[in-house]
Parts: sequence; structure tokens; C-alpha cells
Amino acid sequence: MNPMDTIITTTDLRKSFRAKGTGAGRGGPEGPGRGEGGQQDGRSQQDGRGGRDRRGGWVEAVRGVSIGVAAGEVFGFLGPNGAGKTTTLRMLTTLLPIDSGTATVAGFDVASQPRQVRSRIGYVSQLGGADELATGRENLILQGRLYGDSRAQVAPRAVALAELLDLAEFADRRVSTYSGGQRRRLDIALGIVHEPEVLFLDEPTTGLDPQSRANLWDHIRGLRDRGTTVFLTTHYLEEADVLCDRLMIMDHGQIVAEGTPRALKQQVAGDAILITLRQPDRDAGRAGPVLRQQPYVRELSAEDGQLRLYVDDGGTALPELIRLLDAEGIGLRSIAMSEPTLDDVFLRQTGRSLREEGASGPADSAAHDSVAGSPAAGDPAASDSAASDSAASDSAASDSAASDSAASDSAASDSGPGGTATGPGRKEMAR
Amino acid sequence: MKTARDIGLLFQRYLIQLLRNPVWLVVGFSTPILYLALFTPLLRHLVAAGGLPGGNVLNLFLPGILSLLAFASGIGPGFNTVFELKAGVIERFRVTPASRFAILTGPILASMLLMFVFDAVVVAVGTGFGFSVHWLGLAVLAVLLGLLMIVMAAFSIATALTTKEISGFAALMNGINLPVLLLAGVLLPISLGPAWMRVLAHFNPLYYLVSASRVLAAGTLTGPAVWQAFAVLVPLCALVLAWATRVFRRAVA
Repeated sequence: MNPMDTIITTTDLRKSFRAKGTGAGRGGPEGPGRGEGGQQDGRSQQDGRGGRDRRGGWVEAVRGVSIGVAAGEVFGFLGPNGAGKTTTLRMLTTLLPIDSGTATVAGFDVASQPRQVRSRIGYVSQLGGADELATGRENLILQGRLYGDSRAQVAPRAVALAELLDLAEFADRRVSTYSGGQRRRLDIALGIVHEPEVLFLDEPTTGLDPQSRANLWDHIRGLRDRGTTVFLTTHYLEEADVLCDRLMIMDHGQIVAEGTPRALKQQVAGDAILITLRQPDRDAGRAGPVLRQQPYVRELSAEDGQLRLYVDDGGTALPELIRLLDAEGIGLRSIAMSEPTLDDVFLRQTGRSLREEGASGPADSAAHDSVAGSPAAGDPAASDSAASDSAASDSAASDSAASDSAASDSAASDSGPGGTATGPGRKEMAR
Repeated sequence: MKTARDIGLLFQRYLIQLLRNPVWLVVGFSTPILYLALFTPLLRHLVAAGGLPGGNVLNLFLPGILSLLAFASGIGPGFNTVFELKAGVIERFRVTPASRFAILTGPILASMLLMFVFDAVVVAVGTGFGFSVHWLGLAVLAVLLGLLMIVMAAFSIATALTTKEISGFAALMNGINLPVLLLAGVLLPISLGPAWMRVLAHFNPLYYLVSASRVLAAGTLTGPAVWQAFAVLVPLCALVLAWATRVFRRAVA
């Protein structure tokens, strides 16, 4: 990458927090001051993996992160709750002191020139933080003025922004009357009212319904098209896949993979095939060894009557598998093929599934993510179509699942697209 | 210059927030009036029974109410800080180039303005019931009230930033509330108490304000109680503000 084009650079960024007592699970490595959901996540994160990154009462939240973000791209941090995404973001936005390592944003050193950095970046936290008792317009004008501009300078910009983010209709209503999606759009408008070079978004679509999420993605792409660099964190697979030009997968405070979504998925060679047995009690024990003997089956894991295996070429393996199981007298409920998802990338790098992390989060969003994430992420063509027309992203997702099934002729599934593959009870792959 | 501008912006913002919260306004106005309405008759009876020195009880009691108001007004910004911390408002401001000192003091000054409005109402109502007004004394008293209010506000904001939770913050504020009030002689003069109480009261900043407020409200501008109050509150104010700014820079993290 040409260094001229790099707008965010960090080298070996590190951050530790003093470990809180078990009673005070609040504010884990992701940093305090988050919403209830975040706190719960922080707590479960500490309870679940407490002691993992601890040294002498300190939790190492970020452990040597080096990144380079090109100007004008949508760059994503994908990882489970507690991976250190928010902490990294908060260091880059001058909200948290850096323990060690360096960070440069928009040409200025974050540690020694925080003021210059602040005036060139926008930041939208998970919480947003608009004034509820003020109107959208009042919020925008105050925010702009805090960056040193006069009311006369800011007012027309507030109008234009309200227009851009579909807020004009209720710009003069109090924020307390806004819906979740409207509020999120206002949060983003607040983040860009001073026309920053870089916009940082922390979990921008958490808690939004699918339509609002797709709508927000459109707006984020719009910002990118206007030349703003967007740096976002997410734990949604689909969001990372569909929205980000480039991403890093983070776990336990470290980068475990980096690249474009497509390149990352290509790292996981082959396709995944998910088989649901008609009579798992009877056949599960038998099917495993039979499948394992096949030369084209690279890896295999079994759980809850389902078998997940990786093959070099799904297109040729699928009919063979059906013939094979048929010959063995093993009944199938469904068999489905998917190209590798970002979750497969995460699984390969960490041995854990991101979906399980999602499942422990807010129930509705996790469920949505699991269902929508899998098929769209699984099919590059679908990702592309969703990218160009994300208003229809949800239908695109299910369409892709349908076409997936259609392409692999016999792929019948009576449990809905992706539904069975992503249940919270799904176990980690044996490796 | 820039700091002054930022203070102005955040002062204005917080004042609007306060004025758009009718519950808060009604409670803010009614509490001191209720004190006057419900406690003054009690004191009058006490005087009649010979338990208190004679004279107009309002002249003794009303300055105490003003001091109490200064104390209570300072806790408001702390509660608000806990709320805004949770709502992400403080973080939103911190990521702008706005002066950190302004983010801290804008709300304090807005609360102070509202406190002076409440003070004026209390004095006006009190005058109707026989409180004798000495304008110069009240003007000097206003300075002291402002100082104590800043001390309390900075303290409560710093505490809010440290505890971060409404439960911990509220418990702490309630915990200090009662002893500070009782040991200040707001409701009854501390001179009525035993010696150990009078000694203990000297460690209570509110005690100095209350003592000075009675002297000033009576029209005496000099005297030990007045300069003692300044001697305690001015350095205390600087100290607590410096501490709060420090906590603000660090602890919001």
C-alpha cells in the first residue's frame, strides 16, 4: 500500500486494564461506559474466559495490533464481544490513552497530537449519545459548533445532512421521539457534521431491525463514495462481508486474519457441506467413518445429528455424497452446500465459531445475524448483489439461499435457510 | 477564548436541557418553598417556647435555606453526569476538540444560574413573610453560595465519573448528605449542640457558608464568619475543580 494513501496506521498497539473484581464485571476490556447489552457482554466475557489474558491482575485487552487503513475505504474490525475491537477504536479516537505502540490518524500522532486528530475524525459510539430533549437539528448545530464553526456555517450543513440521511422530516422533533433507525442515522450525522476525513463507527447496526440495518449500510456506502474513510467494528458476519472493503478479524486482542472479505474466504479452501440425517440416533455413528474414508472429505465434524464437512469442490462432491449415503442406507433429511463464510475463516483461525458469540448476545439480533449471515456470506454472487442493492439485502440473502439450494439440485432443507446450520447449540469443529 | 466559547455553548445546551425537564423544574422550585412553609411555623413555636433566641425566625432560617439550596444544586450535575455517561453524551463531547474544562464547567454554570433564580424566588417569598432584605449582604452571600455550589458540583461530577453507576453514586451522596446537613446548622443553629458537635462542624464546608449566610443576611459584611467562609471556600473550590478536571481527563475512559 502506498503510504501516501494510508490514513490510519498503528504499530504494535497495546492496552491493558486493571482486572476488576468478580463482583464488578462491568466494563471489561471493551471499556466501561457502555449500554446494558455491552455490560452483559463484558460480564459474560469475563466470566467465560476470565483469566485468559490476565497477568498479575491486569487484563490485556489489545495485544499488539498493527494496521493500515487506506483513505476512502470501509475498513472493518470483525470479532466477538470482548475481542478488543472497541478498545482499539477508543485508542484511535483519543478516548483512551495508549499503553504502548504508536497510532497515526489523518497524519497526526494520536498520543501527542490529540487535538489535531479530534478535529479530523468523527466518532459514533455504540451508545450514540444525542441529546434526547433537543431536536435533531439542535443536536447537529451544537455538535458542529463544538468543532469551532459558527452557527451560520453549521446551519446549512445540518440541513444538507438531514437531507442526506433521510432525517429532514423530523429534524425539528425531539430525539426522544425517534425510532432506533432514525436515531442511529442522527448519530452518524452528528459524527460527520464537521466533515471529518475519517469516521469511526462502533457496532453501528447493533440492535437495529433488518430493514434499518440494510438502510444504514446504504448510507455508510454513500459516505465512502463521498470520500470519507469509514472504520467500523462489528460482530455481525454479514455486515463485515457485505459492507467492508477490507477487514481484520480480531480475537483475544490480536489480529488473526486480514484482507478483503473475498480473499479471506478464499483462504479457507473448498466448500462446506452440511448434512442433516433423517435418523441421527441410528445413523450418526455410522455416517462419520464412511464419510471420513472419502479422499475428497478434508475435515468433518458432527453434532446434534448434523454433519459438517469440508470438501475441495462442493459441486462434484455433493452428488457423490448423496450416492454414497444412499448406498449405505443412511437417510437424509437435508444436504446443503455453502462456500466458506467469514465464520469459517474465524473458525479456522481460532477454533471457535463467531456465531456462538453472537448467540450469547441480544437474542433477536443474534438470531437475525445467524440466519441472514450464513447464506449471504456463503455466496459471493449474493454478496455482490446485496452490495449493489442492499435495500433488498434481506431478500437477497434468502434468494441466495434459494438459488444455492436450486443449484445443488437435491439440497432440500425443511428447516429454513441457514437455520439449522447456525443454532446456538452448535459445537465447535473438531480439529 | 476558545474555552470561554466552549463553556458558553455547553452552558446554553445544559440550560435548555434543564428548562425542558418540567418535573425537575417543579421539584426545584417547590422544595425550598416547602421548607419555608413547613419549617418556619415550627421554628416560630420553638421561639415562643423559649428554645430559640427571639427575633424573626425567617432572618435566621432563610439564609440556611439558601445554603441548603446551594448544596443540593451541586448534586444535580453529578446525577446528570452518571446519566450522560451511560447515554454516551460525554463521550460524544470528549471526542470533539471542545475544551475539557468547558465540558465540565458548562453544566455547572447553567445549574448555578438556575440556583440563583430559585434563590431569588425564596427571598421574594420570604420577604412577603417578614424576611428583612439587606441587598449588599445578599450580594456577597451570592458569591459564597456560588462557590459552595461549584465545590459540590465538581465533587459530585468527579464522584459520578469514578463510581459510574447510579446506585453507587446515589448511595454515596445520600451518605454524605445527612451528616453534612446536620453538622452545618442549616435547620437549627449548631450553637445549640454539644461541644464535640461544634468542633466537628468546623470540618464541614457547609457550616462556614451557613454561619456566614446568617451574618450577611443580617446586613453585616465583615466579621469572622464572613472571611472564614471565603478562606475555606475559595481554596476548596480551586482544589475540587482541579481534582474534577483531572478525573475528567482520565476517568471517563
